[in-house]
Amino acid sequence: MAAEADDEADSESALFTYGVPFVGVLLVAVGIAAAVPGAYALIQEDLTPCGAPSIAVESPEETDRRFGDAPPPTVDRLDFAALAPAEQAAFEAALDDPIGEAHVEGAFPNAETFRDGTLVTYEGEHYYATVVAENPCFQAAPLQFPLGVFAIALGIVGILTPPAYRRLVALETGLE
Amino acid sequence: MNRALVEASALGLLAVSCLLLWVRLRRAAGPQSDGGYPTRERLRFELDHLRRQLARWLTTTDHREVGILYIVFGTVAGLWGGVDAMMLRTELLTPPTDIWSPETYNALFTTHGITMLIFFVLPVFYGVGNYFLPLLLGADDMAFPRVNALGFWLLPPALLLARAGLFVQVGGQLLSPVFPQETIRFFLTLREVSVGWTLYAPLSVQSVNPQIDLLLIGLHLSGVATTLGAINFIVTIVYERAEDVTWANLDIFSWNMLVTSGLVLFAFPLLGSAILMLLLDRNFGTTFFAVEGGGPILWQHLFWFWGHPEVYILFLPATGLLSTILPKFVGRRLFGYKFIVYSTLGLGILSFAVWAHHMFTTGIDPGIRASFMANSIVIAIPSAIKVFNWLTTMWDGDIRTTAPLILAAGSIGTFIVGGVTGVFLAVIPVDILYHGTYYVVGHFHLIVVGIIPFMMIAASYYWYPLLTGRWYDRRLAQFQSVLLIFGSTVTFTTLLIIGGLGLPRRQAVYPPEYQFASQIATVGAYVIGLAALLWLYNMVASYWQGDPVRTTDPWNLKATGQFTREWQWFEGRMVEKYDVTPAEPETVRPAYDPEGEPSGLLGGVGTVAQTVSRNAWMAAVGGFVGTVLMSGGLGTAILIGVLDPASFGEIAELVGLPASPLLGTLLFLIGGTVTWPLVFLAFQEYLPGRLLFETGLVFATLISTGFVVAFYTGQAGLALIGYVGFVVVAHWAYGLGLSVTFQYLRRRQRAKRGRGGG
Ligand code: HEM
Ligand SMILES: [Cu+2]
Repeated sequence: MAAEADDEADSESALFTYGVPFVGVLLVAVGIAAAVPGAYALIQEDLTPCGAPSIAVESPEETDRRFGDAPPPTVDRLDFAALAPAEQAAFEAALDDPIGEAHVEGAFPNAETFRDGTLVTYEGEHYYATVVAENPCFQAAPLQFPLGVFAIALGIVGILTPPAYRRLVALETGLE
Repeated sequence: MNRALVEASALGLLAVSCLLLWVRLRRAAGPQSDGGYPTRERLRFELDHLRRQLARWLTTTDHREVGILYIVFGTVAGLWGGVDAMMLRTELLTPPTDIWSPETYNALFTTHGITMLIFFVLPVFYGVGNYFLPLLLGADDMAFPRVNALGFWLLPPALLLARAGLFVQVGGQLLSPVFPQETIRFFLTLREVSVGWTLYAPLSVQSVNPQIDLLLIGLHLSGVATTLGAINFIVTIVYERAEDVTWANLDIFSWNMLVTSGLVLFAFPLLGSAILMLLLDRNFGTTFFAVEGGGPILWQHLFWFWGHPEVYILFLPATGLLSTILPKFVGRRLFGYKFIVYSTLGLGILSFAVWAHHMFTTGIDPGIRASFMANSIVIAIPSAIKVFNWLTTMWDGDIRTTAPLILAAGSIGTFIVGGVTGVFLAVIPVDILYHGTYYVVGHFHLIVVGIIPFMMIAASYYWYPLLTGRWYDRRLAQFQSVLLIFGSTVTFTTLLIIGGLGLPRRQAVYPPEYQFASQIATVGAYVIGLAALLWLYNMVASYWQGDPVRTTDPWNLKATGQFTREWQWFEGRMVEKYDVTPAEPETVRPAYDPEGEPSGLLGGVGTVAQTVSRNAWMAAVGGFVGTVLMSGGLGTAILIGVLDPASFGEIAELVGLPASPLLGTLLFLIGGTVTWPLVFLAFQEYLPGRLLFETGLVFATLISTGFVVAFYTGQAGLALIGYVGFVVVAHWAYGLGLSVTFQYLRRRQRAKRGRGGG
């Protein structure tokens, strides 16, 4: 049985039985790598708050635990009232959030301070706040998506070549 | 992007396609229906059947059925962890974290590691052990069949607990448009754990995510299940052997399962204790791993005291399979059986004495550290013994390049690279430089991918005839094996290299200089993923469609005296069930003979000119069909903007007409229908290709180069790639359309002539 299968494989074109599907798989793999991010780039604005960094805000207790009684002078301080509206909204949303994070959607003038980590004074208490993710928007070349889809389609044709090949062989040899 | 939804849909899609494929094939394989509508009785019958099957699989204690359950469960977990891996690599296509968020990336590598290590590898090996150990030992069943079933059924809830975060998160997202945040707070709180699979304190103690607690409970449950299974294997191997199975001729896979089970017995209870301590620290204010108490480093000691033996628990069964399968396909006995057994025992014992090599950077006492370094280097020796024995087994053998052999040979290769890179890591100064880089990821993946799943898949092919009574698609299997080896080598050696250059692991963001290498690794990973899907398809489809096995010795093992016990059992069953005679396998030659082709494919004697004139009109029809097909490809190219339609005007100019695209297109059509087919007819005998359509493809490829040059309008970058790609493919469509139509017409004409003449 096994020997029979080996001989069968030998008598066929190795190019069409193994070579072409192999290239096909490579094309599909490259195609996925291009098409999936490419498609994502087209729709991400509708899906995610990209471009809006996330900040994390720690509760006053956690902040105390982090710094003890005296936060080092290198940590900047900001007053809640002095924050921009988007910063204020994100700060309050983070306080409400179960894991203490929120996106800053809008102008973020204190971004640099937040990136370094800052103490925000809010209703008389100190909260340690930092940027934890920038959430940059994904950039892709416009052709990336269509070419990726093309590569996937072409690759699938390659993967399906062996059966098609056998059919064509049958068609031609049927002539004799 | 929203990770939870993407992952849940990917998994759902995979499950649904498997199910659909299964149902469709099953329907196709079953007795032909009368084509009528399904009646009520039929439906009731189907449901009844389903209920009975369900009851059977839920309550079975038969070792073979429990084995299948384990294998299916492990495969599901493996695919799940694989989806995590694909998503990890997708994020790494670009340097910034612009596809998933960093938090999501952290969760992905954590759940990927845990799912693969705990829920994929050992369940699959336990499944293989359950199915085959009793057959190999000559036992009726496992020693404790009910404990066996119990051990399995602890696993599904364990997996669900460990990965509940995903479903809860998806649930929360589906509910959040409908309910106010307060009511569904629970759903918004849980999310997948993101502290790394090693759960290092203090992060794992301080993270608020309650999913960590569920994960710990799930891990504990799976540890209990693993220990139960190990006890069962040990007792079965020690007490249930048939009279003639002695320690001296116990097969190598059973030896490996025995040693593995021993390791489990000593390692897993420790993990259980450590997990409980962590759970207590998180919820009941104990201080085992707090700085004021035992300290965070205590966790690392306990964890790695389990963790390093765990590495060998995962790896030893794979070497057992390799030592079992390799000799069968090289026609030689396993070289140095005794040394392989000793090396396995040696590995088992040494594996408990090296754990601190995972902690070289924590600042433990330098003297102790040096002794761990020595042990870690020594542990390479038993592994090397295995490798030399495998190589010697293959040396001068009568090698049959079946899929299992390809995978076995590939495993030896990747294992050598994975193992040697590991020896470097055992050296303290090297480890201090590299332990936090992709070098480590490359090193251990060459083993956790390069031998463990390789050998699982090899075993699935090797025993497929025994498991199902059918053959898998052998060409597809060979292809898939090569693909798997190729993808793994590309991916993980790339990781070794970028790690060697210093790229840190466990980071979603990386410097742009690494982008190209990272993309290569990702494409390699996708190739691994596609290879896994091809394997899955082969397994599912062949179950219904594969050629039935008609011999009692499918691998021709009797010829080399390697007809082992499990095959003897198979032979007995075949004889009993189908009354097959246990004969020597016959040799059958295939029918297709390439030498029998006539030399002039157009089937005529005479000059080229005669051939052309006799067949010209058929070639023209073929050319027209080809041109129409080709226009589809070129049209798409114009549509997405990689081909400039104005360039068609230039053809007209070329022959001295005004540069109008319309005229150009007309000329293009005439060329495609008349000129090129005639050129093809004239030259096809001199072009490479055995069959006409092959020649057609070669011809089309050649003329496409001319097209590429003639219609080039300064495209660059992606547009250039797209331009060339579309032009070449459109020409292939032309070549195929031309040659296949031509052949078809000729065939019809002959048939007509044949009828007229006879
Ligand atoms: C399908 C092929 C696989 C690919 C493409 C893959 C890829 C990856 C990647 C990209 C990482 C994270 C690297 C980082 O950022 O540090 C990773 C980590 C890991 N993988 Fe895999 N992997 C594969 C299969 C496996 C298998 C089969 C196992 C185990 C049996 C495994 C075990 C692990 C472990 C333990 C980690 C470390 C997780 C951590 O750092 O907490 N992987 N893998
Ligand atoms: Cu180790």
